[in-house]
Amino acid sequence: MEPIITVKNLVKEYGEGARAVDDVSFEVGAGEIFGLLGPNGAGKTTIIRAISTILSFTSGKIEVLGMDNQEKAGEVRANIGILTTDIGAYERFSGRENLRYFGELYGMEKKDLDERIEELSRLLDMEAFIDKRAGKYSTGMKQRLAIARSVIHNPRVIIFDEPTSGLDVLASQTVRNFMQRSKEEGRAVIFSTHQMYDAEKLCDRVIIIHKGKTVAYDSVENLKIKTGTGDLEDVFLQLVATG
Amino acid sequence: MNLRNVITIWKKEIKDTIRDRRTLFSMVIIPILLMPVIMIGMFKLIESQTESQKEKAVKIAIANEDAAPQIAAAITQQGKVEVVKVDGDLQTAVAEEEVDAAIIIPADFQELVVSQKNAELELISKSTNLNSANVSAVVSVVISNYNKQLLGKRFGAQGINPEILSGVTVVNRDAATAKETSGYLLGLLIPLFIVIYSIAGGQYTAIDVSAGEKERKTLEALFLTPAKRIEIVLGKFLAVSTVSLTSIVLAISSLYISFTYIGDIGGSMSAGMGATGMDTSPFNFSVEPQAAILLFGVSIFLVLMFSAAILSISIYAKSFKEAESYISPAYMVVVLPIALINSMPTFEPALWHYAIPAVNAVLLFKEVLIGTYDMGHILMTFASLIIASIFAILIATKIYSKESVLFSS
Ligand SMILES: Nc1ncnc2c1ncn2[C@@H]1O[C@H](COP(=O)(O)OP(=O)(O)O)[C@@H](O)[C@H]1O
Ligand SMILES: [Mg+2]
Repeated sequence: MEPIITVKNLVKEYGEGARAVDDVSFEVGAGEIFGLLGPNGAGKTTIIRAISTILSFTSGKIEVLGMDNQEKAGEVRANIGILTTDIGAYERFSGRENLRYFGELYGMEKKDLDERIEELSRLLDMEAFIDKRAGKYSTGMKQRLAIARSVIHNPRVIIFDEPTSGLDVLASQTVRNFMQRSKEEGRAVIFSTHQMYDAEKLCDRVIIIHKGKTVAYDSVENLKIKTGTGDLEDVFLQLVATG
Repeated sequence: MNLRNVITIWKKEIKDTIRDRRTLFSMVIIPILLMPVIMIGMFKLIESQTESQKEKAVKIAIANEDAAPQIAAAITQQGKVEVVKVDGDLQTAVAEEEVDAAIIIPADFQELVVSQKNAELELISKSTNLNSANVSAVVSVVISNYNKQLLGKRFGAQGINPEILSGVTVVNRDAATAKETSGYLLGLLIPLFIVIYSIAGGQYTAIDVSAGEKERKTLEALFLTPAKRIEIVLGKFLAVSTVSLTSIVLAISSLYISFTYIGDIGGSMSAGMGATGMDTSPFNFSVEPQAAILLFGVSIFLVLMFSAAILSISIYAKSFKEAESYISPAYMVVVLPIALINSMPTFEPALWHYAIPAVNAVLLFKEVLIGTYDMGHILMTFASLIIASIFAILIATKIYSKESVLFSS
């Protein structure tokens, strides 16, 4: 597997001494959904922000598509699409206007952008509300707009940070389908979650983080065999207890 | 730097502001309506005051009215005067403000007049009662007219021309036109308005594009785009500046138009202020083209400096409300001293005063509005404001790059 994302010995300290991420390494390849797993406060969001260049880190090295993410920050950002945990939209703008704004900032030309908006609108079933003001959207609509925004520039890397928390069954289904589809299109997908059930259904390989440290890094199948447990939830509980 | 990103962000923030009732209110509605509303309010106030003064008659008690019926009649004819009967001591009646004044006519008034002796009228008034003073004035006029007639008769009887009685007389004429008095007020208000709107005009936009964007959870998504931090800051900064400058232009235009169309009110306003002890010495007022250009030029840099400053302050806040609570005190700290300097007519600034940002703008505005163009002052003001603006922008960019400010949990 040729890695798209390489994280090597990543350390992040907020302030003095407190390590939010402690020597974490992993690789993510094209056409896979990679699970970034761990309970709340494990360090998932910190790792994602470091990959996406908007957070500096204490030590380690991160490469995206072979580019060092500190030297080529702008280019790295141009190739990653990130769905943040907190989703928001410009409420006085319609969904389409929101998408246009971000598309322009990703340097897209008008024609490509308009086509991409149509495509995503169809794919995420947004046609009924895309021209309404985002301030009037339900949580599910906002989530779909946020997904569309995060991939508006057709990035080769997609990172979803806790995308299903707080969503109802139907909305989570939309998110899962989208990740599945992106994987099939050959993109590298990172799925960050604390819900082991979701991860087990979608992920090929996972890294499990606990208090900033790696407790496991393997395929879901191997982890089940190694720990002799039936599902990822049990794998996690056992590893945290012994680790 | 990618200029396209700056323009994209700038355009988006302007559009967002126009769609926001709150920001639209502080940028357009308030600057346009404030001045006419204040002026019309003042006009109504002055009008109602003079009206109530007209309606209220002063009360006078006259003792021995029958001794000098001509005088009593003349006083009554003055209008606004009501003669009332008082039983008991007149001094007490005035002291207790039962009446505003009292006149005691000597019982032998007629005999004294006929025998050409001095007749003494006693006028009891109370200096702390404003109406009392009015009565004194009324009585003086009546008596002086009566005297003129009486003496005229006496001199006439002796074959002397009564004109010899008048030595020097003074004729009052107010040289200040309504236009000039309102010009004085404009000279006072224009500098103040420019400074106020260079902060207040863009304040809501500044908060909305920083703390507001944090609150709505869109800031991180914006930072995730390839746009560089400096491009983001510049786009937002230009939007805030545009809004502030727009509101200055609107406010000053509205101010100017208000004074032109409601010019009379301007006159009565300054008359009203004159009564409160303010200096209203008028000067001939018109804004010369070069003064207007200077005003606009200085306003631009004032706006750039303040926009960057309020943008920096409001990115520290996590919410709209919090940002407002930071900016309001900062605003007072800037505006109060400036308002003070602006209203000191005798303040003689030294050159170094023109190095103080914002203060220099007001000082310069005041002198160019009366047609004084001091090259040293102009250059110093521009240099100071340009340097301050650049610093403010650099600081804003620095703050926008601080992780602790953006991702504080
Ligand atoms: N801006 C910050 N300043 C200080 N500490 C932080 C900050 N962000 C996160 N942390 C701490 O770092 C740890 C990891 O947080 P985070 O990466 O958000 O975890 P997760 O996304 O897995 O829930 C937590 O202990 C959190 O309190
Ligand atoms: Mg998180």
